[in-house]
Amino acid sequence: MPATLRARFDAFRRFLNTPGFGRRVVLLLVIALALKLAVNVTAFVIIDRTAQQDALSRSFQEIRRASRSVLIGVLSAETAQRAYLLTGEAAREAEAMEGLREVDRALMVLGTAASRDADLAPLVEEVRATARDKAQELGVTLDLARSGRVTDAVRVMATGQGQALTDRLRSGVGAIDDLVGRRLAAANSASTNGLRTVGVVNGISSVLIISLAIAIFWLLRTYIADMRHKQLELDRLNAGLEDQVRDRTLALTRANEEIQRFAYIVSHDLRAPLVNVMGYTSELQSAGKALEAQLAAVEAKSPKLVQPDAVAAIREDVPEAIGFIRASTEKMDRLINAILRLSRDGRRALHPEKIDLKTLASGAAAAVHHQTDAQGAEIEIGDLPTIESDRLTVEQLLGNLVDNAVKYLDPGRPGRIRIEGAHRPDGMVEIRVTDNGRGIADRDLERIFELFRRAGKQDRPGEGLGLAFVRNGARRLGGDVEVTSVAGEGSTFSLILPRRLTVTASGEPA
Amino acid sequence: MTTPVKIVMVEDDHGHARLIEKNIRRANISNEIAHFADGGSALDYLFSDEVKANGPLLILLDLNLPDMSGTDILQKVKGDERLRRAPVVILTTTDDKVEIQRCYDLGCNVYITKPVDYESFADAIRQLGLFLSVMQAPDIE
Repeated sequence: MPATLRARFDAFRRFLNTPGFGRRVVLLLVIALALKLAVNVTAFVIIDRTAQQDALSRSFQEIRRASRSVLIGVLSAETAQRAYLLTGEAAREAEAMEGLREVDRALMVLGTAASRDADLAPLVEEVRATARDKAQELGVTLDLARSGRVTDAVRVMATGQGQALTDRLRSGVGAIDDLVGRRLAAANSASTNGLRTVGVVNGISSVLIISLAIAIFWLLRTYIADMRHKQLELDRLNAGLEDQVRDRTLALTRANEEIQRFAYIVSHDLRAPLVNVMGYTSELQSAGKALEAQLAAVEAKSPKLVQPDAVAAIREDVPEAIGFIRASTEKMDRLINAILRLSRDGRRALHPEKIDLKTLASGAAAAVHHQTDAQGAEIEIGDLPTIESDRLTVEQLLGNLVDNAVKYLDPGRPGRIRIEGAHRPDGMVEIRVTDNGRGIADRDLERIFELFRRAGKQDRPGEGLGLAFVRNGARRLGGDVEVTSVAGEGSTFSLILPRRLTVTASGEPA
Repeated sequence: MTTPVKIVMVEDDHGHARLIEKNIRRANISNEIAHFADGGSALDYLFSDEVKANGPLLILLDLNLPDMSGTDILQKVKGDERLRRAPVVILTTTDDKVEIQRCYDLGCNVYITKPVDYESFADAIRQLGLFLSVMQAPDIE
């Protein structure tokens, strides 16, 4: 796994080090993503800060409310005190006490807030002190009134001390109010600034992202245009290539036809002079016979006239020369016929049909029945599949291989020939002819398939045609022939043919 | 009395021509033999006034000629109102099935392959001679 990871990483690094379309787009996308991330982070920070400001504002509002509650509590207690002094109603007294409790509660809230705020603490302390004094003054008057000394209470009130305390309280609360007001204004402006920053950052990054998008779009457009251009170029080249292949195939087909025709014409044109050579050799032979008769007559009548040179010429040299001319011409005729046959086989239309190779092999074995019987050899036929091919050609190929196997058996041991075959996974059929004959030396393994070439001891008749035919025929059927051999032990010839031969309408191999 | 059949031999190979003639003579055929080594002169002769004026013909034809194919001559002879009755014997080296069929289709009467083996060749010609000696060729008018 680490290896694959490293390979991936290397590939990625190579990608980054290679200038080009991909790297540019990736770079732009990375920049766009980074911008988006920066905007998000900014917004997050600002929102967080605004939330803090909001919390602060709320606590300021609370302080303001509490300070005002102190004032309101004092004022309502004062109002109730005055009403009590005037009416003596117990409910008014309760109202006054309620007002004072309200003041206590508000002071408690203020106290808590002041403990966290150094600026606020002295102001709250002032208010608290004033409120306490005021509460005390109210308490004194209410006590006097409760004990029926209303006049004394009024007198206390008339000193104006109470009023002065109220005024002081009002200004104290006012001071708190101002402080809170200033603080709120500051908080507000901070959050307005934050929002403005978010807006600006958003705006700038939007502009940048849009520019990046335009850049990527432009890159893509250029790239696609480039691709299309290259595609067209490729199509053009491909079309050219197809044309080339067609031209070459046509040229090859023509060359092949040319060779076939050439072989055919040459064979015929070579035959014509051969007819003359053979014909006039025979004429010479009959002339020689006439001369021989003449010589015999002269010998009988007047032996002195006979020259020994003439006798040697007529009885030995001429017949010998004629014999060699004849043998060579006959051989040449066989060779020409072989070329002719090869050329004809190459032009014969093929007719694919279903062939049971087992039956075919039995036929081939039966054809050499006489030779095998005479040599005490055996032909064994193993498993063989069916094939769809040209019957005549396959018959000839197999026949040739079996002929060869029988022909080159080792006289020193009983001949064993085995014909077997099977389908191969690549859609071919392999037919093996194995013998325990004399075998073929390694250096001859390729030569034996060439026309007029033979290998090993030249003690059997033949012109070196059979295997050339086999190779020619096998290739025409879309296959080939192979050989493995150990000299002195035996050979295996493998005929490899397509399971199904396909031909064109004219019977040419497709 | 009928006019003896004249043999017109179209053969570009002089050796072959001589061998054919020798063997015809050996078969005791003494008919006149007119030999032409190319298609053009043979056609000139076949379509000349001399041939029109004279009696029956037998044509011995080789297929591989320097100036044209023997089948061209065969086609012209068999396409001619008068000459088409003349028997044509193809005597050639070609033993290609298609070629043989084509010649019979065009109207040749006998197709003989020149065997390289001289004995067979001489034999074939002698047989042809025997054949000629009993053959009735129609008059050409």
